Amino acid sequence: MPLTQEDVRGIADYARIALEGDELAQMTDYLNDAVAMLEPVLAYNLPDVDPTFHPIGDLSNVMRADALAPERDLTLAAALGNAASTRGENFRVPSILGEGEE
Amino acid sequence: MPQSYDTLSAEQIAAGVRDGAFLAVEVARAALEAVEAREPEVQAFIQVTPELALAAAERIDAARAAGETLPPLAGVPLAIKDNMNLEGTRTTCASRMLESYESPYTATCAARMLKAGCLPIGKANMDEFAFGSSTDTSAFHPTNNPWDLTRVPGGSSGGSAAAVAAGMVPLALGSDTGGSIRQPAALCGVVGMKPTYGAVSRYGVVAFGSSLDQVGPFGRTVADVAAAMDALVAGGRDPYDSTSQEVAPSFAAAARGEGAVPVAGRRVGLVPAFMEAEGLTPEVRAGVERAAAALDAAGAELVEVDLPHVDAAIAAYYVIGPAEAFSNLARFDGIRYGYQEPGCTSLARQSALSRAHGFGAEAKRRQLLGAYLLSSGVYDRYYYAAQKARTLITADYARAFEQVDVILMPATPHAAFRHGEISDPTAMYLSDMYTISLNIAGNGGISVPVGLGESSGLPMAAQLVAPAFADERLIAFAAAVERGVGGAFAAGVGSPEGAVVPVPGSASVLGVAPAFAGKGGELA
Repeated sequence: MPLTQEDVRGIADYARIALEGDELAQMTDYLNDAVAMLEPVLAYNLPDVDPTFHPIGDLSNVMRADALAPERDLTLAAALGNAASTRGENFRVPSILGEGEE
Repeated sequence: MPQSYDTLSAEQIAAGVRDGAFLAVEVARAALEAVEAREPEVQAFIQVTPELALAAAERIDAARAAGETLPPLAGVPLAIKDNMNLEGTRTTCASRMLESYESPYTATCAARMLKAGCLPIGKANMDEFAFGSSTDTSAFHPTNNPWDLTRVPGGSSGGSAAAVAAGMVPLALGSDTGGSIRQPAALCGVVGMKPTYGAVSRYGVVAFGSSLDQVGPFGRTVADVAAAMDALVAGGRDPYDSTSQEVAPSFAAAARGEGAVPVAGRRVGLVPAFMEAEGLTPEVRAGVERAAAALDAAGAELVEVDLPHVDAAIAAYYVIGPAEAFSNLARFDGIRYGYQEPGCTSLARQSALSRAHGFGAEAKRRQLLGAYLLSSGVYDRYYYAAQKARTLITADYARAFEQVDVILMPATPHAAFRHGEISDPTAMYLSDMYTISLNIAGNGGISVPVGLGESSGLPMAAQLVAPAFADERLIAFAAAVERGVGGAFAAGVGSPEGAVVPVPGSASVLGVAPAFAGKGGELA
């Protein structure tokens, strides 16, 4: 069953990307085309085949010594330098609590 | 007599600097002059970095004057794809989202090339966040194919490929998630290599598909690409990338025909279904056949092999790639870095509008596709199926490599297309039909030029594929193809009809697109 514009609006909300103007209709068409293109992969839902999530098998988690590595630390200025809005030593954001819209 | 900078390979430049034939600073100036002369038409760069290039060159000249031993690529100009962090530059990913993002540190791949003595000439244009096969999705400007400015250079590493093909730099770095090194290399007539996943560190490269992304080099000769590979793996595994693996720096030796990988007596696989595929143009097929003939003449045995599940690669890729991209690009919320929509009173609204206005159309499409594929109920059907297809594709390659040492196939189905010629996004995805299965399986591939197409007059390429972590084989076999098809293209050597003809055995005469050969940038 094809995706409706209402479905796509829900996906866009989940992805935190606002769709404006013609974008909702265009994105609905695109997603339906793309999902149709993916159809052949469904034939591979085979019970006796294990999935491969990563090209390097038997990966194990990499741990390092629990020690400071000052040469790798970002300075506060570097960490804040790319932010659009800061206050003192912090990133500045709009209110999180009480947001009522959408 | 002054020598055009673009007729020199990376190896020749490094040797000239080492031997005192010219200074690194003179090379840097020649490169910057070449950029100034050719960039208005090609537009391969997002940012040109003369101060960084000249400072690096001065350090090399001072080291030589002090009697120090120079590193292997001392004085070689380099372009770096703009998804790689380099201190002193912006890293934009060709996106409005990161238009003013200053690199806080340097990616391992870039650091290793600089340690090897390369001069950073600039940050190369790309498809936005590496989503694309044309470089037309760059938020800043398209890049033009140096062989025909009305055509695309391929993508996503189109700026890197075009900068090399136009003779602005002999070496460039790109990244390849579904073909983003090999496809633009093929369309621009240069050599481009995607090593095995894990061979080159991804630390400091903006992530697209974390189980698919791999960094690799572009060059005009196989030997130059080999020298760059040695630099990228020197220093061993990178502790900052948990998937990075130890790889021996044996590539330059393989290019010289040394080491454990002679071509004579080895078996080369051809996949009949690939050579008869719908959409493969006759001139690309003829180019791959020239490569096969070259390997046959070098003493290799040609054998047919079958990769029965590779048909599923594109569908599997467009599940796995967007799913991973959606997860990776969730970090761009406009708070810590990136575009922030002004005047928003709620965090959710700020995030949704920052992402709506920071990302371009294709970046939004891929993320929404990923979001859908990872949603409840859908995830089980598509994501698991794609990862099971991945198991079968990987097994196909393993079976084929029991019979053959390398596999020879097309790199792309067709020559460079015109800007705007492929407007349907899902049709564009087929441009990677021959490259994508390697990102799924993880093993390496190289695109090597095989002359010009008889109907288009544009560069043609063949792709060689090796088992995982046998990447030195790619170099050895690509070098044999390069020798066999008559060396790299001759710069500006025209036939009476104006076509560029290959000059046999002239590996030092490089594949600079004829319109740009000798234009700006001379060395004494």
